[in-house]
Amino acid sequence: MSRIKSNLPNVLGASRVLGTVAAVTLSALVAGHANAQTREINLGAIVPSSGPFAEWGRSNTVTLKMLEKQTNDAGGINGAKLKITILDDAAKPAQSATSMRKLASDEKVLAVAGPLTSSAAEVTFPVANELKLVSTSQASSKPGTAKQNRPWAFRNTIDESVLAKTAVPYFKKSFNIKTVAVIFDAKDATAATVGKVIMPSVLKANEIAVANENDLLSFNTGDLDVSAQVTKLKSLNPDGIVISADYSQAITVLREMKRQGLIKPVVGASQLISSAILKAAPEIPVIAPATFYSTMKGEAPEKFTAALTPLLRKESGLPKDIEPNMFDANIYEIVSMYIDAIKTAGVTGKPEDLEADRTKIRDYMAKLEGFKGLGGPIGFNDDGDAIKAFYVLQGQGGNWDTKVKGCSSAPNHPAC
Amino acid sequence: MLIQQLVNGLTLGAVYTLLALSYSLVMGILGILNLAIAELFMIGGFIGFTLISAGFPLPIAVLGGMLGAASIAIIVEKIGYQPLRDAPLVTPMLSTLGFSIILQNIATNIWGSDPLQLPIFGEQFEIGPIRIGEMQLLVLGATVVLVALTAYIVQKTPMGRALRAVAENRDVARILGVSADRLMMMAFILSGALAGVAGVLIALHYGAITPYLGVEIGLKAIAVMVIGGTTRIWGALVAGPLIGIAEVLTVAYGGSQIRDFVVYGFMILILLLRPQGLLGGARSDQGQRV
Repeated sequence: MSRIKSNLPNVLGASRVLGTVAAVTLSALVAGHANAQTREINLGAIVPSSGPFAEWGRSNTVTLKMLEKQTNDAGGINGAKLKITILDDAAKPAQSATSMRKLASDEKVLAVAGPLTSSAAEVTFPVANELKLVSTSQASSKPGTAKQNRPWAFRNTIDESVLAKTAVPYFKKSFNIKTVAVIFDAKDATAATVGKVIMPSVLKANEIAVANENDLLSFNTGDLDVSAQVTKLKSLNPDGIVISADYSQAITVLREMKRQGLIKPVVGASQLISSAILKAAPEIPVIAPATFYSTMKGEAPEKFTAALTPLLRKESGLPKDIEPNMFDANIYEIVSMYIDAIKTAGVTGKPEDLEADRTKIRDYMAKLEGFKGLGGPIGFNDDGDAIKAFYVLQGQGGNWDTKVKGCSSAPNHPAC
Repeated sequence: MLIQQLVNGLTLGAVYTLLALSYSLVMGILGILNLAIAELFMIGGFIGFTLISAGFPLPIAVLGGMLGAASIAIIVEKIGYQPLRDAPLVTPMLSTLGFSIILQNIATNIWGSDPLQLPIFGEQFEIGPIRIGEMQLLVLGATVVLVALTAYIVQKTPMGRALRAVAENRDVARILGVSADRLMMMAFILSGALAGVAGVLIALHYGAITPYLGVEIGLKAIAVMVIGGTTRIWGALVAGPLIGIAEVLTVAYGGSQIRDFVVYGFMILILLLRPQGLLGGARSDQGQRV
């Protein structure tokens, strides 16, 4: 009796121990599984969801949310959930730099997609360098912006001077252009550089005279009345017009050209690519370069456009007939590159490895070649700018058509 | 080219005049700068634009823009001005600035930040070297009519006399049985309605509209109001075309980089040399003379 009495607790004790071990093991397994599911890989994005470039920022946001969902639905990144923290910089350089600091310190992101504009990139890239955090712009194309901020700044875009060297000869040949007049948005960094520096030099190299070479016409972002400038353009009677402005501002010029009966072909930078610009004055041909456009052929771009278009059209504050633009494609590619880097470069995503992980992503980006982008393979040159294919498009009658294919590197490069 | 530029300048000046008139009404009677007017102008434009897009005729679009902007002006007065009217003048002014930012954000969320476009409205006429459109003629004509109508209301009608009484001395007007509250509200409604009409006409003239339409034009209209005289309705009719033509000629012959320097430099010069404005009377303490 006493033995029984004395053993019972032992038996009970043994089963308690076994039960505890089993419970701990089971809970560890469950917790481990749950940890893998709840562990997060943090990436950041800076887009202008308010202010004058809000349409691009909002469509970028929808694109990023789609990519986040696609990635997590497919099992995440190495078992961890992808979280993209998106901050609005309203296209203001100071706000963009503050967003970069917040993403680096508060959100502890591994890399940042954005900012969008060259003006914001010029201020934010030095902060990325200071913080040792990769920042890749989806739209900046002002020459030298990434080059001046090595080694952490990248741009999934092509320098406008490279693009103009292909767009201008096509423009000249197609419309028999001998003279042009230039008008640009003086308050936009890229537009001002393209209008004042790049275009005059490329036009000169192609033996096209600039009728207002010593008196380039300009306007300011947000101006609705450009009647004085267009009257002057008309008085110069050029064969074609160079409009250097983002599409929303260029629309104002095109409409005034139509109102004053100035129906002349237009050439500009990649900033002109938009479906909206084709509605402004459908009878005026517009020539501009792009790395992606919504009617692009191919499995990857068609799949991307088919998935994104309905999401964009459901989003409030965006036009009902909106289509994915080049910058949506660019930011999609940027985050896809980061995901690929995390998967393949030994990035752990652990807080104690944050600095090392960020460096691994930078090294991956610097050495990248042949990444499968929507428009073909992508790599980066030593200046941090994308090496990728581009297309000179002609917009007329409401559609963009590909006229010439180019490449931002030598013709034998894999991206070409 | 010069004649065409003068036509461009007159049209631009008419735009400024219409909006300056709206600022003048509130400024002249209440002595405050209602900074939400630029956004009432923009919202009025959007409402008119939406109605035209939906197939309504121009008069309905104008009426819609006018009523829409006037209704929001009532909200601005009730929330942004009335509770603060005894505070220092800067307080209600800041409150209307808050409304301005809120309205801009609401418009961005409803209509998006991209310019909305309509086909160019009305016929274009070639008269010798000049090209002028129906909408331009309408803007010019409407400006003259609206300035005259506003002046008539303020100078000749019982309501106008009461408005001027309130402007002269609110307390005495109250003692004499004038409902100052009702008249102050009326000043907001009138200025909102004017801003709404201006918004529709300008949006249709340019064939495009954005939530930021009011920002640039609003500031220029304030400059026009100051130059014309904050207390004189006819001042806007003189200063508007003056500034419009000066701006267009500066852009055409000097460059857009110095455009704002000329306009605002002229405003500062007027403030220094003739603080009451070109047509203003001798006193300009709170601008209480409409």
